[in-house]
Amino acid sequence: MSGRDEHRVNDPLDLEAPPGQARSLEDEDEELQGRGPAGDSHPPRGRDESEKQDQFLLKVYHYGKDSDDPQERRRAIEARQKLIAMYLPLVRSLARRYASRGEHFDDLVQVGAIGLIKAIDRFDLERKVELTTYATPNIVGEIKRYFRDKGWSVRVPRGLQELNIRLNKVIDELVPKLQRSPTISELAEAANATPEEVLEALETSQAYNSVSLQASPNGEGGEEDAGLIDYLGGEEEAYDTMEDRTTLAPGFAKLDKRERYILHLRFFEGLTQSQIAERVGISQMHVSRLIRRSLEKLREEIGELDSPEILRASGDDDR
Amino acid sequence: MAERINLEVPAGPSSRDTVLTVVAGICARLDYSLDDLDDVRLAMDMLLGDALDLEKLETIAVQAVLGGGSMKLTAGPFHTAELRRRVTVGRDDCIDLCLLLRRTMDAVTVEGEDSSFCVVLERRPREASR
Repeated sequence: MSGRDEHRVNDPLDLEAPPGQARSLEDEDEELQGRGPAGDSHPPRGRDESEKQDQFLLKVYHYGKDSDDPQERRRAIEARQKLIAMYLPLVRSLARRYASRGEHFDDLVQVGAIGLIKAIDRFDLERKVELTTYATPNIVGEIKRYFRDKGWSVRVPRGLQELNIRLNKVIDELVPKLQRSPTISELAEAANATPEEVLEALETSQAYNSVSLQASPNGEGGEEDAGLIDYLGGEEEAYDTMEDRTTLAPGFAKLDKRERYILHLRFFEGLTQSQIAERVGISQMHVSRLIRRSLEKLREEIGELDSPEILRASGDDDR
Repeated sequence: MAERINLEVPAGPSSRDTVLTVVAGICARLDYSLDDLDDVRLAMDMLLGDALDLEKLETIAVQAVLGGGSMKLTAGPFHTAELRRRVTVGRDDCIDLCLLLRRTMDAVTVEGEDSSFCVVLERRPREASR
């Protein structure tokens, strides 16, 4: 096998080096370790391929991200993207552990991915730990923080929180089974609670927050930042279909895409909350919370638009 | 024979929650589905929200009349022309109070004089629950 072939096989980025500048993975690895390609040409022994690949990519990223050389910076970004893609299955696996706690799995994956990105960005090359070891607590920490910080907005007793989470699961199970929205007594029976406890838990569920899917994954603003919603598949086309009609509806500009879509389905298409939950892929309780919150935003906005003074000014007072 | 439940609580944000909890409890007694219950709660929540914004209320009074598997909720008395307008006048392209009440309830009526009126919301369960 030639040196060039070796490069193509081993380079995780599979980047074509410019003619005359082809370098093997080992060359780059050793240069990064400060030994230079003329030193010991044997790759590190006793480390499996994936760990070696991680280390290579981490070095390419951390040593290249602030380089003056645009090509190095490009390789750095690609190395980071490659690492993120490689470790997304780990994020999914960890998110799955928390999926039964009432939040949508895809949302947890997005939050976990933020933890992964932070782990990659903060990884200290001097510390001889594997990326998996370092990333796992970061991912789990981010998911837990999501539940803690973005979860209950008021103090809700633990028992009610747990019942609320249980109800979320029970509703998701009962709707397809009954082919309709369950009653309180059915929920109580399935959740092993009294109807009063179910009502109380449903009441407190309104105190539960959720991260806006328009929020940037890195928590920063900027038009170029993708929102979490941009990472979710399946419904974007539907969002766009209703855009023309509902973006013109008064107050809708204040809402994000998903909020507009859900209100459109509920009040213009006449779907029930359970039907919306099934269509959008979130729980019925989450739909309920989103509708209420979106309506509060609309109420503030429409209250201003709908004042008698504005209606008179627009000649719409006779409607 | 219809059953009547009268509820009167001091006006304020927390009393709004009290009314909503009682309304949810009545829906549960009638074995309404979660979707039906949430619609009724939503309608009452938004009506009381606007009423508390627009009216100088000392108390919130709601009467529930239950009979034949349906529920009639009467809220009021209210006194402002603006609240009456919001309940009765709406646009098809705008999720204002008027459209919201009509999409979530079977019937919405205003009873009484301009200076003192009640809003009556009626709802039958949409889905056969058993």
